[in-house]
Amino acid sequence: MQARQALEINREDLARLALERKQTAIHELQGLDQQISDLEIEQEKLTHAEQRLQAKVEAFRTQKEVIKAQYSAAQAQVRISSALSGISEEMGDVSLAVERAENKTEALKAKAGAIDELVITGVLDDPGSNKSSLDQQLQQASVSAGVEAELAALRSGQDQKNNKALEEGKS
Amino acid sequence: MIVRILTENQYNLPGIHVDQLNEIDNKLVEVVEQRNQDGFERLLKSMLDLVREKGSPLPVNELVESDVVLPEPDISLEEASRLFTGEGLVPD
Repeated sequence: MQARQALEINREDLARLALERKQTAIHELQGLDQQISDLEIEQEKLTHAEQRLQAKVEAFRTQKEVIKAQYSAAQAQVRISSALSGISEEMGDVSLAVERAENKTEALKAKAGAIDELVITGVLDDPGSNKSSLDQQLQQASVSAGVEAELAALRSGQDQKNNKALEEGKS
Repeated sequence: MIVRILTENQYNLPGIHVDQLNEIDNKLVEVVEQRNQDGFERLLKSMLDLVREKGSPLPVNELVESDVVLPEPDISLEEASRLFTGEGLVPD
């Protein structure tokens, strides 16, 4: 874990950054889950609307034949046109449902675009991408910590050698 | 009375509930005017629930125009402000 790794090398700033990013990612994930279930509900609604409209169109066809067979031409016209207004109201409703679903999808697309933007600018980490800049910073920090440690070891080794040589020179 | 809830279905609402529907409708006009989001959500839900609970869904083979058309459940206060004016949706 990045935060732990950062704390191990005493970089609380990087640890804090890593934890902040984790929180942002968790938050985004929850948002996406919500959006998925919203879309599923929307899809179900549209499927339902489609089935209803289909059934209505079928009913209209049947009723038209029955009305034509049972009523005089003038009466049939009145009845059929009233059924027709019923079905056109239904169509209007279905197209409203489709329009709203489209608007919601557009809004989600815009949101997804905004998340992409955050990933590109580096505020959010893309799980599929290569190392984030935080990773790079951590790596750099631990590399330089390692270099410092080795340098210190070398220096103390060198000092010991020098001291030894000095002492040998004296004798 | 035939009531349609947009994007949902048509219902046959028995006449005895029409007064109650009208009452909620009038209150909705008020909260929409006041831009009262909470009140709007609460009243819209109770209006639609009244129709869903007391009304019976119209069979698919009945092709009739609705007497009253109620808005879709997810309508915003902004969109609703164009609908709920004066007498509201149910004529007084």
